[in-house]
Amino acid sequence: MTEAEIKRALRDWIVDRAKDKPAEMHDETPVLETGILSSLDVVELILFVEHLLGAEVDVDDLQAESIRDVNAIYTTFFAKG
Amino acid sequence: MTQIAEVAQKMTRASKKFFYDPSTKLDWPEHLDASEWTMSPELVSLYGTELWASMSEAEQKKLSFYETGGFFSLVLNGERPLLEGMSHRLYTLEKDLEVTEYMHHFLDEENKHMMMFSTYCRKYLGKIYPEKKIPVARPMAKGEDDIAFFTKVLVVEELSDYYNVFMSDDDRLAKICRDLNRAHHVDEARHIHFGREYLKGLWERHASGWTQAEIDSFRGWLVDYINASWRDFLNPSVYRDAGIKDAYAAREMAIHSSVCREHRNRASVRFLKNLVACEILPKVPELQ
Repeated sequence: MTEAEIKRALRDWIVDRAKDKPAEMHDETPVLETGILSSLDVVELILFVEHLLGAEVDVDDLQAESIRDVNAIYTTFFAKG
Repeated sequence: MTQIAEVAQKMTRASKKFFYDPSTKLDWPEHLDASEWTMSPELVSLYGTELWASMSEAEQKKLSFYETGGFFSLVLNGERPLLEGMSHRLYTLEKDLEVTEYMHHFLDEENKHMMMFSTYCRKYLGKIYPEKKIPVARPMAKGEDDIAFFTKVLVVEELSDYYNVFMSDDDRLAKICRDLNRAHHVDEARHIHFGREYLKGLWERHASGWTQAEIDSFRGWLVDYINASWRDFLNPSVYRDAGIKDAYAAREMAIHSSVCREHRNRASVRFLKNLVACEILPKVPELQ
């Protein structure tokens, strides 16, 4: 998948998952601090990332900032080459 | 003496009576027999789905083997923050010496459980399935941190106890699996009794000072947390290890299966009714 396809898949998943659907969803929209996703959605997000990657990820050293928005999620998990 | 101190004293007596060494408590076989179940089939997370029905008995048993590793890893990972949080609250949140004496036994027993679960996973699986959680803070009312902590303790104990009781006497299972489930249940029965009383006391102490919005917020979080805890049972890593090609789709199937949903509600009802009796929840919620 290209970067654009991955980011679109992440945006779609986040909107689908959100209890209160956001009016707008951009790559730089904060997903946790705005309440689009809750702390309890994080595991689901990680499993979706693994599904897109086709590989398991290690989250031991990650903080909330690592999944702040779609750009951060992409950088954390997909941009490592 | 307060009611919680009386409960703690009684539980302390029982913990002393049943004190054991985790390194000699169980008789560990060198290998597990692939022809035996290690988890009761009705408890395997895909039971009742089309995928489960399409699997041969050998494939189902293989899945039950990895699910057991996933279940014990899940409980182990749930007990780790429990040990941290309980240690942190000894002589700070809780200063009643009758209660703290029992908390020491509680900690001792949880550590033993972690040792036994990790022994199982190391010996037969060669690994512990890791958690996929990233810490995210959320705003809380006064005292909510402690209430949320003891609620989380109860969630992992109550849900795992349903599995432990179910499997303790299931003759289809490898003996070590029956024995490990039974050993965990015997201690957890005390922990649950104590935990329910302790949580009830905390709720009465703090929630009476909360606004209705704060109470509603906590209750919403609690139901979401229980649903999320059930989803932790549905582990794609387990499915992959068992040879299921599309592990993510298998998980989605279990989430949306009416049979699986009925199981989650049935296994939770005793716990949920207790939360209602303590007025922590206004009514038994329908879980996802």
